[in-house]
Amino acid sequence: MIEQLQALRTRALARLEALETSGDPGALEAWRVEFLGKKGELSSALRLMGSLSAEERPVVGQVVNEVREELESAFAQHKAQAEAQALRAREAGDAVDVTLPGRTPFLGAEHPLQKVIRRIEDIFLGLGFAIEEGPEVELDYYNFELMNFPKDHPARDMQDTFFVTEDLVLRTHTSPVQARTMEKMQPQVPVRIIAPGKTYRRDDDDATHSHAFAQVEGLVIDRGVRMSDLKGTLLTFARQLYGADQEVRLRPSFFPFTEPSAELDVRCIYCGGAGCATCKQTGWIEILGCGMVHPRVLELGGYDPHEVSGFAFGMGVERVAMLLYGVTDIRQFYLNDLRLLEQFSGLAH
Amino acid sequence: MDVKITWNWLADYVDLDGLTPQQVAMDLTHAGIPVEWMEPFAYPVERVVVGEVLSADPHPNANRLRVCRVTVGTEAPVTIVCGAANVAAGQRVPVALEGARLPDLTIGRSTLRGVESQGMICSAQELGLPVRSLAKEQTDGIFVLPGDAPLGLSIADYLGLGDMVMELELTPNRSDCLSLRGVAYEVGAIYGRTVRMPSADTGWVQPASGMARSDGNDAVAAKETAPGEPGEHGEHGEHDAGAGPASELPLTATVDTPLCPLYSVQAVTGVALGPAPIWMQMRLLAVGMRPISNLVDITNYVMLEWGQPLHAFDYDVIAHHHIVVRQAEVAEGLETLDGQVRQLSPSMIVIADPEKALGLGGVMGGRNSEVTHTTRSVVIESALFDPIVTRRTGKALQLRSEAGLRFEKGTDPDAVGPALARAVALIQLYAGGRVASPAVVKRPPLATTSDGALSGMSSAASATGSLDADLHQRPAVICLDAPRVSAFLGCDYAIDELVDVCRRLQFPVQREGQRLSVEIPARRPDITREEDMIEEFARLLSYDRIPATEMHGPLTPGRLTPEQALRRRLRTHLVSVGLTEVWTYSLVPGFVVTRTGLPADHALAQMGELQNPLSEDRRFLRSSMLFALLDVAQYNSHRRIRDIRVFEIGTVFSPRALPMTEQPTERQVLALFLAGQAMAESPHGKPRALDFFDAKGIVEHLLALLGLRARAVFLPADEPYLHAGQSARILIDGREVGVVGQLRQSVAREYGIGAGFYAELCLASLAASAEVGLTVAELPKFPGVARDLAFVAPRSLAAADLVANVRAAGGTELQAVTIFDVYTGDHVGSDAKSLALRLTFQAQDRTLTDDEVSDYVNRILASAARLGAAIRH
Ligand SMILES: [Zn+2]
Repeated sequence: MIEQLQALRTRALARLEALETSGDPGALEAWRVEFLGKKGELSSALRLMGSLSAEERPVVGQVVNEVREELESAFAQHKAQAEAQALRAREAGDAVDVTLPGRTPFLGAEHPLQKVIRRIEDIFLGLGFAIEEGPEVELDYYNFELMNFPKDHPARDMQDTFFVTEDLVLRTHTSPVQARTMEKMQPQVPVRIIAPGKTYRRDDDDATHSHAFAQVEGLVIDRGVRMSDLKGTLLTFARQLYGADQEVRLRPSFFPFTEPSAELDVRCIYCGGAGCATCKQTGWIEILGCGMVHPRVLELGGYDPHEVSGFAFGMGVERVAMLLYGVTDIRQFYLNDLRLLEQFSGLAH
Repeated sequence: MDVKITWNWLADYVDLDGLTPQQVAMDLTHAGIPVEWMEPFAYPVERVVVGEVLSADPHPNANRLRVCRVTVGTEAPVTIVCGAANVAAGQRVPVALEGARLPDLTIGRSTLRGVESQGMICSAQELGLPVRSLAKEQTDGIFVLPGDAPLGLSIADYLGLGDMVMELELTPNRSDCLSLRGVAYEVGAIYGRTVRMPSADTGWVQPASGMARSDGNDAVAAKETAPGEPGEHGEHGEHDAGAGPASELPLTATVDTPLCPLYSVQAVTGVALGPAPIWMQMRLLAVGMRPISNLVDITNYVMLEWGQPLHAFDYDVIAHHHIVVRQAEVAEGLETLDGQVRQLSPSMIVIADPEKALGLGGVMGGRNSEVTHTTRSVVIESALFDPIVTRRTGKALQLRSEAGLRFEKGTDPDAVGPALARAVALIQLYAGGRVASPAVVKRPPLATTSDGALSGMSSAASATGSLDADLHQRPAVICLDAPRVSAFLGCDYAIDELVDVCRRLQFPVQREGQRLSVEIPARRPDITREEDMIEEFARLLSYDRIPATEMHGPLTPGRLTPEQALRRRLRTHLVSVGLTEVWTYSLVPGFVVTRTGLPADHALAQMGELQNPLSEDRRFLRSSMLFALLDVAQYNSHRRIRDIRVFEIGTVFSPRALPMTEQPTERQVLALFLAGQAMAESPHGKPRALDFFDAKGIVEHLLALLGLRARAVFLPADEPYLHAGQSARILIDGREVGVVGQLRQSVAREYGIGAGFYAELCLASLAASAEVGLTVAELPKFPGVARDLAFVAPRSLAAADLVANVRAAGGTELQAVTIFDVYTGDHVGSDAKSLALRLTFQAQDRTLTDDEVSDYVNRILASAARLGAAIRH
């Protein structure tokens, strides 16, 4: 009897195995009826149990149950496989060409100048600076007088000016925001601000000049601010913008509102300092003007230069962007050619 | 502010031994005097020497050629065939020998019409000289040299062709370096070398190095102001000619205006107008000045040397030999040297005699007193003129000159005397004159106060110093504490180093403990305060020594203001919904008003105007972003870009009155422009063209981002540039914040674009209304009940009005009303439309029964009926 059951098991599993390739759901059901159905072989075997001795019955009964469980489990597994296979077959019929483009929503892009301003802002926000803003049509008083450019001062020649009236100009730099900030803050310290914005000079537009351009101004006033702090702050800035191994140097310069004044150079980002056409073989590129706030500017702003000191800096956004993105003609930023702007759609840059 | 110098010229005043032009250029740049470029004056020709034409005979076979015998000294004479008309026996000329290298050619032996030529007699052009700056007689034919040119001497050496020319890019505070003397002091300060200027009484007038000389005087170092010179007298008083030993010609002067704080003149007689010595001509040429005549060249040379402009008058036209320096009379006229008759104004300084004006002080001489070939005696003028007045006069008359440039930057009072003496000495040497009067030195009445300070003038210091320079005389002495210098720069300096910098600058310095008193000479008017001197220390001890330190004080991160944060948020949002940011000019042409169909009285047609625009295209301050975005659309559409989806956040200007007298209102606005398809092109179905509701949808989307969507109301707009039926004003809490709509077809056509959609929103209004606080509403505990109602309503009924009506009638349990279908057409009347609304009812405390909901619906239907909306069957 037990041998018969074992033979039945072997036969049933072999048959099931044979079905595997056929994939016919009817055949699988037929198998179930044949071996596990009410009139199937296992039931027939059970019916023979009656003829067994009381000693044999529990032993054979256990074997019967084991065989049934095994066959049922094999059936369930097989059925699941068959169903999955059938589903895959149906899906294959609905296959699409996954290499076709999807229905992509439009993706815009941030303007490169704005992108640069945001990067600069983020660096200085991290250093504890606030962002101040001021009007573009500015009083001569803030644009020039408070910045230590008296009327008829030759230094005014540095900045060809658009006039609205005799006393009203399109601001020639973002420096008047320094004056406005001091007016608002004095005599409080610390002052730690940057001021991005549009500025204007009466220059004909060409590859390197634009009548409208953007600047980011910076101003720090506190007790005991040193010129070395200016260098340290701008070194941190340069490293965050151009890379952790950047070096900076200061060169003497002149601005009416700073004394001492300097230009800040960074190691040429194209040649790494070896010398190339962009850096005129010097290995350095000028990126901004800066200096210690002129005592006269502090006085005009309501601060006592014996009590506090400060530094200021100002950079051209277009210049930074041209260096970062390899743009050689400043007018490209104002052309708003979508084919150029859309290159800035990624998160990088 | 650029100025050119040459290496050899500079070497006359400061010892450059052991230095190279490259090194000095680098060190000057690093000290704050940037050397923009450096190149030899001209091509350093080889095997071209001074020769003498022994004979110049006609060529046997050619009319225009001459066969010349030329000696170059030691070697045997050579034969040269020359085509120049001006060649003649006895001339000293530049001879290119066989093998000579000229800028454009190499000389070999050649045969010209049967006569062998063993070289070439060169023209100025062939030598590579800047011919456009030379006189016609110097460029027609061969370049004839002075008769004393040493035979056989290399032309490159004789003319200084290899001398290195440097262009300095000066910052406005360093006008002292508009002279060789200033640059010499700077170089002296960098290397610790002494500056030696030529002195009148020693007669040192020759270049000390590098250039061949035509006489044997040696350079003599001397201090700047020798006793007996006008500069020295000027310190103590004034005097007229007539009293001194050399008073051959009477000469007197008075100064009647405080705008000329120091005036000096001296007469020289027996002058002969002719060319200046060749070395002087070449130096002037090298720095970009045109040689003219000995007298003019000498005044220019001394100006370049001392930074002090000089002027030469014809003595004989000065009535009564008396010069009056005064301000011009109303409507006074003067014909200036350039032949133009100028209308003067009383703010200008006039040099006159008792009868007539002779010139404009500091700006330009008069035609009537010009030095000509008939002039026998000249008056040389060296003076100080008010920088601001000089600048204004130059601007008013549109006269720019090297002299004016220097006066308006402020000149050195201490150079007035030495420059005059120097010029007079050079004139005696090179123009054959003799001193005919002592120097006449005059100051305006009351111009000196008890402490010797000048008054009345805006002062040289004010031109480069600070605002208060008018009120406070520039201190001659600056006191500083050495520890403060170190503390201010964040770098430790020994006091000895600071003293050494003063010594190198040739600034007298006194030291008491840690305290320094530095005397600032008048040649450095830029140094007026302690910080100016600190900069001198910092730059001459190198900025590289200053370390990089971290700021003291709290390092809490900075924060954006709410409006700044709002702008950032909007930017990011619009980019992710597919709009590209643009950056446009704020200045627009006036014709944008008519181009966009704005009537003249429209608010946007009121634009502020610049007084001095560069062009008509950039004349007005934009009143709207519309103009710029239409330009962007036009530009891209012309380049066949179909999908244009752009935005900009920028400033628009609203004048308070026209013409503008005060600052306009500046508003930050967000503007967007859309044209093309609603979706990007894909192979999965035909894209739909954009319509009004795409534009409105973007606006609603960003209002939702700011929590403002529920409070926003859209009402039909009436803007001249927008479609009358497809444009809306946007209101929040009854306040207008913007506009959205389709461009009017006529405007779109004007810009060559198809259907376009425009929206503009005022950011300040949005920021003011944006939701900041949020209390989370409790989630519903009981299921809601939805009812769909299709209304037939008059076509003129605004959907928003029906929804508002339904909301008002629906009671507190009406949670949401959405419009899910709009229909016009055959199934409703021609003046009607169907609006399908989905109403969601929900109570917080129970499940609503059907009966309750039906009651609400009935109330809603009754209310809607009052608007003419009935349920559709
Ligand atoms: Zn480089």
